[in-house]
Amino acid sequence: MSFNNMADPRRQNKILRYKPPSTDTNPTLEDPTPDYMNLLGMIFSMCGLMLKLKWCAWIAVYCSFISFANSRSSEDTKQMMSSFMLSISAVVMSYLQNPQPMSPPW
Amino acid sequence: PPFLFVLCIMYSTFPGRYSDDDGEDIVDLDDNDFAEFEDMNDEQAAETETAPPPRASQTSQPEEDEDEDEATVELEDGQDGFEDSETQDQDMYSKYDREEFDGIEGIGDMAKPGHSMKDPLIIHTVPAHLQNSWESYYMEILMVTGLLVYIMNYIIGKNKNSRLAHAWFNSHRELLESNFALVGDDGTSKEAVSTGKLNQENEHIYNLWCSGRVCCEGMLIQLKFLKRQDLLNVLARMMRPVCDQVQIKVTLSDDDMDTFVFAVGTKKATAKLQKEMQDLSEFCGDKPKSGAKYGLPDSLAIVSEMGEVTDGVMDSKMVHYITNHADKIESIHFSDQFSGPKVMQEEGQPLKLPETKKSLLFTFNVPGMGNTSPKDMDSLLPLMNMGKQKADRNRARVEENFLKQTHAQRQEAAQTRREEKKRAEKERIMNEEDPERQRRLEEAAQRRDQKKIEKKQMKMKQIKVKAM
Repeated sequence: MSFNNMADPRRQNKILRYKPPSTDTNPTLEDPTPDYMNLLGMIFSMCGLMLKLKWCAWIAVYCSFISFANSRSSEDTKQMMSSFMLSISAVVMSYLQNPQPMSPPW
Repeated sequence: PPFLFVLCIMYSTFPGRYSDDDGEDIVDLDDNDFAEFEDMNDEQAAETETAPPPRASQTSQPEEDEDEDEATVELEDGQDGFEDSETQDQDMYSKYDREEFDGIEGIGDMAKPGHSMKDPLIIHTVPAHLQNSWESYYMEILMVTGLLVYIMNYIIGKNKNSRLAHAWFNSHRELLESNFALVGDDGTSKEAVSTGKLNQENEHIYNLWCSGRVCCEGMLIQLKFLKRQDLLNVLARMMRPVCDQVQIKVTLSDDDMDTFVFAVGTKKATAKLQKEMQDLSEFCGDKPKSGAKYGLPDSLAIVSEMGEVTDGVMDSKMVHYITNHADKIESIHFSDQFSGPKVMQEEGQPLKLPETKKSLLFTFNVPGMGNTSPKDMDSLLPLMNMGKQKADRNRARVEENFLKQTHAQRQEAAQTRREEKKRAEKERIMNEEDPERQRRLEEAAQRRDQKKIEKKQMKMKQIKVKAM
C-alpha cells in the first residue's frame, strides 16, 4: 500500500512535450466572440462611412475594443489593428462631413 | 416728410445684410419699418433675427408683446443688444412722427397685408455646432466616457486574473513539482526544460502542461477564469452568476488504464456531458443517476457504463472526498475512449472512429462564485491530491471487477481492432520478398506478443499484492 507513496512518481524518461490542441478537430471549443466582434465592427464602420451615420461609427469602435479584449494571444494583431483603425477612421470621417453632435434617438 | 420717407426706405434695405432667412425677414422688416408710422398697439408680432443698425437711444418704453416675443425667439447671442435699440427706435420714431405721418398711415396699411393677423411663431434653431458650447456634444462625451470605462475595466480585470493565476500556481507549485518531472512547457523551446511558469493563452485562460510521471503521459491544467477584462461579460455575469473553473485533463498511457467510462458531477454538468461527449453518449446509459444511491450528496449525479464500474470507482475514500468537496466539483470524467465533444456528423458516416485517448478529466469550480480571492486557491490542493491517488487506485480496483464482466460491444470492438492490426501485420510479413526478412519480422511480432502477455501477468501479480 505504501509502496506508491514512498517511491518518487516522477519519471524523467516519460516526458512528453506540450502540443497545443489543434483547433481543426475541436471547432466547437473555441470562443467565437472575437471573430464575431471583428466582423461586426467592420460592418458597422462601413455603414457609418457610407451612410454617414455617427452612431454606427461609435458602435464600430466599441466592437473593435470588445474584440481586442476577448482575443486569444495567438491571434493576429494586424487584423485587430486594422479593424480598430477602420472604426476610428469611420468616426473621424463622420464628424468631418457633419460636425453636428449626435442626436439621441428619443 | 418725403425726405424721411426716403430715409426709411433706405434703412429697410440695410437689414437685408443681417438676415439669415431671406423671404420672411424682408417682409417682417418692412413691417417693422412701417410700424414706426403707426400706433404702438398695432405693431404685430414679428420675428427677427436681424438687427437694424444700432442707433443711440436712451428711452425705453414698456415692452409690447411682440417685443417680448422677439426677446424669447431670439436665439443667437450677439443679437440681444440690438433688440433694445430697435424697440427704442420704434418708440422714438412713432412718437416723433405720429403727427407728421398721419396721412401716410394708409400707405403703411396697404404695404402690410395681413398685418392684423398674428403670424405664427417660427422658431429658428441655430445649428448646434455654431454654438460654442460643449453641452450640445453630450452624446459624444458619453461615448468617450464609456470607452474609458471599458478600458479601465480591461486593465483591472486583466490584473485580477493574472493575480489569481499566479496565486494558484504558487500554492500548487510544490505539489506539481514533486509529482512531475516537467512542469510548464509551451512546446516551443528546443529541449524539454521546465519553464516553471503558466502559459497564458488569453487574458482569462492560463495553461500548464506537466509531464513525466508514472502512469500518465501528461497533465494539462487549464485555469479558466471569468472574463473580467470584458465589460460586457461582467455585466452579463451580474445576471447569471458563473464561477472560475480549473480544468485538469490527465492523459494516461495506453496500458495504464482499464477500459471504462464514468462520470460524476453536478446534475446540470452531467446532463450536458452526456449529451455532448462522444464517449459518454455512446457507451453509457441514457440518464444520469442520482448520486444518493452511492452515498453522495443529492446534488451530484453519476453517469457510468455499468453499475459495477460505479461500485468500483466509488470506494469509501472517494465518497468521503467527494462529499467533502461537493461544492467545488463540477464534473469528473474518466474515460478510456475520450475523443472530445461530439463532432457534427457530415452527410456520410465517418470512415473511421475518431481518435481516442485514455484520459481523466476533472473540472473544479473555484469557490466564491466569482468573487474569488487567492486564498481559495489553496483549498483546491486536497482535491489535487485526491486525483492522484485515485488514478492509481481506480485502476487496481476496477481492473479486478472488470475482468469478471466484460461489455459485449466493447469486446467486439476491441477484438476487431486487434484482429485488424494482426492481419495488417501478417500481410506485411507476407508481402516481404526476402524470406530472411520475413522470418525476422515474424520473430519480432512474436516477441512483442510475448512481452505483452508477460506484462499483463506481472500487473496481475502486482495488483494481487496491493490488494492484500
